[in-house]
Amino acid sequence: MRQFFGIFGNLSEVTVGSSKPLAGLLLEILPPLPAFLEEYEQLLAMITACGIFVGVVPLIPLVLVLAERKVSAFIQDRTGPMRVGPWGILQTLADGVKLLFKEDLIPPYGDRVLFRLAPYIIVCFSLAAFVAIPFGAIDLGDERYVFIVSNLNIGIFYILAVSSVIVIGIIMAGWASNSKWSLLGSLRSAAQMVSYEIPVGLSILSVIMVVQTLNMQGIVDQQDGGLHSWLIFRTPFSFIAFFVFFISAIAEVNRTPFDLPEAESELVAGFHTEYSGMRFALFFIAEYANMFAVCAIAVTLFLGGWQGVLPGIDILGGLPGFVFKTLFLVFVMMWIRWTLPRLRVDQLMNLCWKYLIPVSFFNILGVGIWMLIFGADTMDMKSLGPSLVVIVIAVFILLKQVFKGVSGTKRETTPVPSS
Amino acid sequence: MVGYISNIYVGVYTVLVGMVITFKQMFKPRVTHQYPYQYEFERKDNYREIPIGNRGQLHNRVEDCIVCNKCAQICPVDCIYIDSRKPSGGRGAKLWESMNVVHLKDRKQIIGIVEGDTKKIEPDTEITINQTVPTGQTRKVSSNDVDRIVERKKVTFYMDRFDIDMALCMYCGLCTEVCPTECLTMVDTLQGIEYSEFDRANLNYSFVKPELYK
Repeated sequence: MRQFFGIFGNLSEVTVGSSKPLAGLLLEILPPLPAFLEEYEQLLAMITACGIFVGVVPLIPLVLVLAERKVSAFIQDRTGPMRVGPWGILQTLADGVKLLFKEDLIPPYGDRVLFRLAPYIIVCFSLAAFVAIPFGAIDLGDERYVFIVSNLNIGIFYILAVSSVIVIGIIMAGWASNSKWSLLGSLRSAAQMVSYEIPVGLSILSVIMVVQTLNMQGIVDQQDGGLHSWLIFRTPFSFIAFFVFFISAIAEVNRTPFDLPEAESELVAGFHTEYSGMRFALFFIAEYANMFAVCAIAVTLFLGGWQGVLPGIDILGGLPGFVFKTLFLVFVMMWIRWTLPRLRVDQLMNLCWKYLIPVSFFNILGVGIWMLIFGADTMDMKSLGPSLVVIVIAVFILLKQVFKGVSGTKRETTPVPSS
Repeated sequence: MVGYISNIYVGVYTVLVGMVITFKQMFKPRVTHQYPYQYEFERKDNYREIPIGNRGQLHNRVEDCIVCNKCAQICPVDCIYIDSRKPSGGRGAKLWESMNVVHLKDRKQIIGIVEGDTKKIEPDTEITINQTVPTGQTRKVSSNDVDRIVERKKVTFYMDRFDIDMALCMYCGLCTEVCPTECLTMVDTLQGIEYSEFDRANLNYSFVKPELYK
């Protein structure tokens, strides 16, 4: 028995890159346990650390749903929810309470067991991705404690694996609903998520090549030292890889312009058409938690994780900075959602197989060549200068075209006098 | 190959153009009006005037009402309740012989007996009114402020009750058509439209002014 719980002891003591996970921090700062529990203190610390995440993560959708509605409203010159609470900030809470009390309908002739199981699988595995994301780090004494449930040495690989399981939940939901809308939506979703796993994996690979580790905290450690050491600026190819990753991530979480699985005009609501009440809310929680997780991964891999913009300034262990960066990416996702229309199925597959995947392969090749030129082992500041030059020139050319385009649309909207 | 790369380039920059436009849109003023809390929209361009012939809340100018009971008789849903009685003094007794209602230009009314000629109003003169409602006061008004002076019909009934249940009313407007003195009208302002209540009993409007008959 003691040996069994010893496993957990090892987990909380795992030190990768001289840092300990959240359970170690809890053991350090919380008062000592009574004698009869001392044996299990490692286990209890792990459970508490998990509990913090399980308790906090479902609150993310509460904020993001409101943010989504407000952002959409602002883009469309509306005000969004305004009645519940000041500026409508309690609207999502009210909706959540309403959904709790709604009738839990299960469609007849559906598969009752799978129908009940599907939302839990989706929520569980979207929460599981949060296990390996470092939210910040704090130095106590000689040790560095990272706000991470488990500092896995295969962190990013684990996240990729876990987030792919969500597809199974979605297909389960679609099949068990015994509805054509649900089934078509879930199959579309499966096709889309499986396709877009590839550019996600490949663009992550180009980062892994630079940092030479799969451990999430290890990746963040390498981006120490301010804005210029973020991985997005290390090579021009990782700059491209960030955008490939971000586009694929939007498709992974089934959001507009890739929201074919939930296309209202075609499939009513996609795989969750038949769901009501709290089960529907679980899908919602999973969707927004996924969004947050994907953005958090993007921040960790490319935008320096919890490391600050300036070196040495990590307020509260970098947690606020991390959340701010992540929420900014979430905002960009919403911004894109309310800008672009939905793609067709063939366009979706075109984009993935003909553009994103070749570009990711090109990135891997490019990173390899870059490492060959500037030194493979460290990728230190030697490569930064040339990389920044390439990035700045590319962005400059692009922005010039963009502002030309923006001012061009203005000209077109001026009324033409009719003769 | 050139086409492929330019395809990516065009794709990226057109998306960015769209995003710049939506970002600019985010800082434009909102067009939504928080209607029950915000009335400023009345002065904005997109305010829709209440159209002529709108059927709104019923209102009775009791000063002109002769309690003829026609409105209560024609009402299809019987939502007008009138109780009246004759004044003491036997047949032919009147409450008052003649009275004027002076309509001012700012939509106020003064009820009383106007001294002098009421048919013609000459500009820049003073009109003296011995007020009857409320009684005893004398008011002097410049004739420039006066819109018109109306002579009251003889009032031969006390009005004890004049209630209109707007919860019952079907807005047919028949009562306003039969009214001989044109005193029963439908309110053509915003107040005639938005008078919803939480309690249905509050929709029963009473128009009696007992002080008129003192």
